[in-house]
Order: sequence, then structure tokens, then C-alpha cells
Amino acid sequence: MRIVRWLIAIAIIAAVCWLFPLFHVVRLKAERAAAAFNATDFAETFWTNKLLPSIDKAVNAGTLVADIQSDPATAKKKYSRGVGLSDSYFYFVTGTGRVMAVSEDAISLAITDKATNAEVALQAGLIFGDAIRDGTGMLDASAYPNSQDFNDISAALNHIVETRVLPELRERARIGTTISFTGCAEVDDESSDLKPLKIVPIQTKSP
Amino acid sequence: MKTNRLKMACAILAMSIAILFAQSASAQPASKGKIAVVISTLNNPWFVVLGDTAKARAIELGYDATIFDSQNDTAKEAASFENIIASGYKAILFNPTDANGSVANVQRAKAAGIPVFCIDREINSTNAATSQMLSDSYSGCVKLGQYFVKTVGKEGEYAELLGIVGDNNTWNRSKGFHSVVDRYSGLKMVAQQSGNFDRSKGLEVMESILQAHPNIKAVFCGNDAMAMGAYQALVSASKDKQVKVFGFDGADDVVKMIAEGKIAATGMQFPKVMARKSAEFADEYLKGKRDFPQKVPVPVELVTQENVAKYGDYGKK
Repeated sequence: MRIVRWLIAIAIIAAVCWLFPLFHVVRLKAERAAAAFNATDFAETFWTNKLLPSIDKAVNAGTLVADIQSDPATAKKKYSRGVGLSDSYFYFVTGTGRVMAVSEDAISLAITDKATNAEVALQAGLIFGDAIRDGTGMLDASAYPNSQDFNDISAALNHIVETRVLPELRERARIGTTISFTGCAEVDDESSDLKPLKIVPIQTKSP
Repeated sequence: MKTNRLKMACAILAMSIAILFAQSASAQPASKGKIAVVISTLNNPWFVVLGDTAKARAIELGYDATIFDSQNDTAKEAASFENIIASGYKAILFNPTDANGSVANVQRAKAAGIPVFCIDREINSTNAATSQMLSDSYSGCVKLGQYFVKTVGKEGEYAELLGIVGDNNTWNRSKGFHSVVDRYSGLKMVAQQSGNFDRSKGLEVMESILQAHPNIKAVFCGNDAMAMGAYQALVSASKDKQVKVFGFDGADDVVKMIAEGKIAATGMQFPKVMARKSAEFADEYLKGKRDFPQKVPVPVELVTQENVAKYGDYGKK
């Protein structure tokens, strides 16, 4: 009789635990995967919905180059943006230029009619750095809890430039032809990055 | 008569107390309160500089400051935070041990009304710390990766010594470096092991890598302490002329070794700039300012044998 009572009690407890479990087993990896940031998708959306539509906010290359040639400090003050405590700064720039030279790493352009040296060098080799991510001011590190995600955005944007923008640029780049461009320049060292201004292109066209 | 003596004794006592207080007041201005400086480890000179500079700047700004050593242990870090919260500190300048594991400590301090300012290393949260002053490790290692390809060449075997696996800086550095080097198919990474950001561990790991891969041309180390350990292992194996060592931090000893041609390059992180600025942020907060950027990137500059003369003492000369 006693045994039966015990068996009934155990059955009731088992039924309650089955209906109302004390804990749930959750697959941590699956949850993490679901929450994982996808830099490639983010970069794709940013590129199409924000970056390309913002081209009208870029400074005119003719104006910028002229100001850099006369006074780099004033040009920096008027048109650049910086990030954090960095001495490096960025320009978001658009313009038209005549192709003066073509190499594996850069397409050199003259912006002004009388220029004898290249004033702009569109970067055409492997793209490194944060010029596109940080050049427009539309993305802010403070929005990303893990800076690895923010850095992955840089790599994904550079990948878009290499796979989508540069092949077209190389096709267009013939010495003497004219190219319209929009892009971002990162100035780490004024002695080497300003003359010519090294620009990572985000769009190029034949005018 | 008795009353006069008593009056005189009281007057002398009052004067003595007044003089004592006047002296102590003139010798040291009243403190504005206590600031805690919590550092991941003091077993690395770079972090000692970070902690000492933060403490010194806090004292300059009128606070009492104390350094707490977490010894790379989140449990010790948590114990320090409990002590700090219970002891009435007004702000914490914090170099976290673990990007995820340290978040709870910062949240506890925030709940207790104590602002936390992260220095150098981040926590994976944007609503716990008041602000985070962070070395731009990724960009620094992109530059280092470009220099690596330039000096080592586009072909050959190399090894990598990672830092603490749970620290975001470890991966930001590694990813920045690989975002460049992996683009060159001729460069083959034959070993990647953690040296825990520690010199002795770096030496030990490098010794075992050299036994398995005697033909490597270079080693990229996630910090300068490991770079010094790796260099020591290379000297012992008589391979210091064959293998180029790349570090990261800008430690004074490594900057000197670059000048001597022993180490190829490092990334200068400016610990003094970060530490001072964090103490200034804490002071501004305690004076009423509230609108701080959550993350403040601090640039990293490439130090090589060509430009090493410009650098020293954990910064630019």
C-alpha cells in the first residue's frame, strides 16, 4: 500500500515537472549565431541606401585641391572630419579629372586645366584602411558594442570597392580620357597623402 | 588663580589646534574625493605606465587615487570593484580584463552611481561605461600588416602570437593584420598560438613554434611583451637574423630594440594620452558634464627603423 502511494506521488511530481519544467536547455551557439552581426549585409545596405544617396554632400574636388594647394590647414578646417583623438582626417570628395597616368595601384588625374602633375590619385589596387567607413561621418564607433563588428564593416566596404567599383574604373581609365568620381580620402601623413590627394572611389562615371 | 590657569590652558590648547589645522591646510589642499584606477595587469610595463599616468593625472586634478591590479583575473577585478563601491570612490578609470566578463563589474559600479571610464580595452556594452577611450588597434595593425608585406615580402612562412583570447584587442589586432596579409597567397601562416600578452609565455610559445617550423621568416605578436619574449627565443635558437619580429604597443624597450635593428616594427598606442584624457573625463563628469562620446578612438602610429627617432617614452618625442 505504501509503495503504491509513493509511486502515485512520484508520478504526480513527474507529470508536474513535465508540464512545468524547472529549467529549459537553450543552445547557446544557436542564440549567438542568431544575434551575430553580419558586416557584409550591413555594408551592402549602407552602400545602397545611405552612401550612394549622400554623394551630393561631398566637397567639390576642384575647390578642395585649390584650397589644399594654397593652405592645407584651412582646407582641413573647412572640409575635413576627424575621428576621436586622431591627427588623421578624412575628406568626402567628388569631381571630374583628366587621366594622366595608369598604374596597378592608382589612376592619376589632373583636376585643373593647367595641371602638369597629378592632383588626385584614385586608389585602384588592394584597398585597406577606414577611408570609406569613416570618411563620410555617417557611421559612429559608439553605436557598436563590439568594435570588431565596426572593423568588419570597414573590410566589407573595402571589398565592395574592390569588386564593384575598381573593375569599372580600370576599364574607363585611358590616358587623356575624363572621369567623374566620388570617394573618400584618409590623410595620415600630409607630406605623402595630399599631393596627389589619395582617394578611395565609391563611384566613377564617364561624363 | 585656578580659573586663570584653566583659561590659559584652554587658550594654549585652542591655539595649538588652530596652528595644526592651518599647517595641514596649507601643506595639502583638500581632496576632491577618491578615484580608483583598475588595471588588468601590472605584470607588463606598458600597463604600469597606463596606471601610473592615470593616477598621476587624477592627483594633479585634486583627487586621491589608488591603483588596483586585476592580475588578468576577472574574479580579482570583481573583488576590487566591490571594495571600490563599498569604499566611497567617486569614479573608476578602468582597464578591463575581459570584454564580456568585465561588463557586470561596470554595471555594478553604474548602479552604485560611480561613473566608469574604460581605458585602452573595451567592454562589449555601450550603456554601462560613461565613456571608453580605445586604441584603434585594428587600423594600427592594418598599417603594421602593410609594413609586414613591404619588409618580409609577398612569400614565405610566418607565425602569429595572439594575446588573451577573451580580449577584443587580441582579435582587432589579429583581424587588422590579416585583412592585409591574407590578401597575399604566398604568405603562409604556419602557427597561431596565444601567448596571453605575456613575455614569458611568448618566449615559451615561440620556442615550440621554432621547433615545429624552423623556416619561418617572421612573427607577428599581438603586443610588445610577447615580441620581446619571441625575440629572446629567436636569439637562443640563433635565428634572430632570419626571423623578423613585429610587435604592438609602443613599449619603450621595444622602441629601443627597433632603433638597434633587433625588432622590425611596432604600433605606438600612446598610453599616456589615453590615461590622462580618461582622468580628465572623470574630472569633467564630477564637475557636472554628462554628454561624453561612448567610444573615443585613439590613433596608433607605425614605428619602424625609418622613423623610430621620433618616438620614445611611450609616445612621440
